[in-house]
Amino acid sequence: MGIKQLFQIIKDECPDAYKEGEIKNQFGRKVAIDASMSIYSFLIAVRSGGEMLTNEDGETTSHLMGMFYRTLRIVDNGIKPVYVFDGAPPKLKSGELAKRFQRKATATEGLEEAKETGTAEDVEKFSRRTVRVTREHNAECQRLLKLMGVPFIIAPTEAEAQCAVLAKAGKVYAAASEDMDTLCFDSPVLLRHLTFSEQRKEPIQEIFTEKVLSGLNMDRKQFVDLCILLGCDYLDPVPKVGPHTALKLIREYGTLEKFVEAVEAGKTKFQIPEDWPYVDARELFFNPDVRPADHADCDFKWEAPDVDGLVQFLVTEKGFSEDRVRSGAARLQKNLKSSQQARLEGFFKPVPKTEEEIKNLKRKNEEKNEQKKKKAKEEKKEKQKAKAKPRGTA
Amino acid sequence: MLEARLEQADVLKKVVDAIKDLVQDCNFDCNDSGVALQAMDNSHVALVSMMLKAETFSPYRCDRNVALGVNLTSLTKVLRAAQGEDILTIKAEDAPDVLNLVFESSESDRLSEYDLKLMDIDQEHLGIPDTEYAATISMPSSEFKRICMDLMALSESVSIEASKDGVKFSCSGDIGNGAVTLRSHSNVEKPELNVEIELTEPVSLTFSLKYLVNFCKASGLSKTVKLCLSNEVPLLVEYNLAGSSYLRFYLAPKIGDDE
Repeated sequence: MGIKQLFQIIKDECPDAYKEGEIKNQFGRKVAIDASMSIYSFLIAVRSGGEMLTNEDGETTSHLMGMFYRTLRIVDNGIKPVYVFDGAPPKLKSGELAKRFQRKATATEGLEEAKETGTAEDVEKFSRRTVRVTREHNAECQRLLKLMGVPFIIAPTEAEAQCAVLAKAGKVYAAASEDMDTLCFDSPVLLRHLTFSEQRKEPIQEIFTEKVLSGLNMDRKQFVDLCILLGCDYLDPVPKVGPHTALKLIREYGTLEKFVEAVEAGKTKFQIPEDWPYVDARELFFNPDVRPADHADCDFKWEAPDVDGLVQFLVTEKGFSEDRVRSGAARLQKNLKSSQQARLEGFFKPVPKTEEEIKNLKRKNEEKNEQKKKKAKEEKKEKQKAKAKPRGTA
Repeated sequence: MLEARLEQADVLKKVVDAIKDLVQDCNFDCNDSGVALQAMDNSHVALVSMMLKAETFSPYRCDRNVALGVNLTSLTKVLRAAQGEDILTIKAEDAPDVLNLVFESSESDRLSEYDLKLMDIDQEHLGIPDTEYAATISMPSSEFKRICMDLMALSESVSIEASKDGVKFSCSGDIGNGAVTLRSHSNVEKPELNVEIELTEPVSLTFSLKYLVNFCKASGLSKTVKLCLSNEVPLLVEYNLAGSSYLRFYLAPKIGDDE
């Protein structure tokens, strides 16, 4: 899922490229949410006693529960969500998808076995691994959203890419996904943890692509190359390349072409997987199959919820509590109607920083990084020293 | 280096008290014209803009532009050690790690001195366009505070309507609704009770009362407050301090959904 370790790199190299804050700080903003990823996480996380929630007929309702209440939380905080569903996956992803399918199959076997012999914990572990978002899940969630009056879009291929297009065109403020891929698709802002439950108390992460690029001192192409090296959904990772090495390699070679050249010339110790169409992968990040933001399908409107429809669907068909559904619908109605608090950014624009200030900031950041590294090194040394000392002599 | 002496510590105490709930960390930007501060609240709805002009201090000396990054909660703790009547002197080096504050008692020979650690704050500075406001209302700051508090009991937001008849603050909530109307009024004996309304065109805007009540914490700084409104732009609430120094608050309006 996503780009391995990318967040760690951002955290280490350009800490000012992201902010953490409460969900309510995002009020008044429109946000495009990667629906498929969210549904998956609901199926995994919205459970009771390790089992997925079901209605009387044994049909799963975890995804609806998650979709309903988490969307309510978002709306309650003054955010206007628009959900984007995955379309057909791009061809290159088939490798990754096949692998995921394989893993599911193994997990299903594991689950069977665990059910017979294992402990309850094992059963739970494997049952989480077998989770797949089916077409029915998607269709039910879309039906629910429609009843809630929350708009959704079905992307031609990857939802993240479509979210990014909407954000870039200014139709929404940010793309919301857990997937760091979204940065490669050039969404100006990425929100993470937006669909998490209230109880987890996870702050909302706000990552700014531009600041990531300037912090890493890379252009977008290099950044995408870095992500490919780190391991994305489309390609197998290069063995023995972790976050540090990937960063170093991109800084050294500049582009993947040069790196691949060097590998082929046998100048490095790395080996590239046999079938490694990195140019195609890069192309997918730069020109994903998406609808342009001015396409008629990308027009969305928030509407009043269909209360009776919600009760019919959630209460009669899915066995939700009627009181809670009705009060939820009332909240949707209220938030739609009440006037929205505007943000100051709409009126006052930030004054661009002067060259000197930017330089100063960079220098300061570098100093900070240096200090951190030094400290880490010293700590390491101390630890080794402590280890080197035989026990009992201290 | 920076050295600024304030006859009454009260001014700084009250300013910091008034803004510390809106802003946690901010830079005091010092240059030869004075000490300025600009900061937004966390949710980017309100903006505080303070300017203490050089002539507010005596003497005032600032050789190089310097930004003092301060945690306001910490500054409050230090300022609590000062009496309102104390003479306050702030000092800082050209590239300071600490801000030095000295309080001299005006009555006795007591002299206290504190160093406050500074921090690096990377702050966005907003450009505030010069606006010709459609309505400018000045009134006693206590009156504004009372209106905000009274209406706060009923509702989260207040609509401010200014027309040639006067200015009307109204709200409606679950338990009912309420409105306060003020008309231009001049009191010869107590000019600080005057209500003046200057109007070029009628305006009507809605604001969050929570923020307005917060701004009213500055009431102690000035007997009068000035509200400036134009349709579809943020409200300006201004408290004048000694000389031409000021403490201004900007608040983004609430807008009805146009979709």
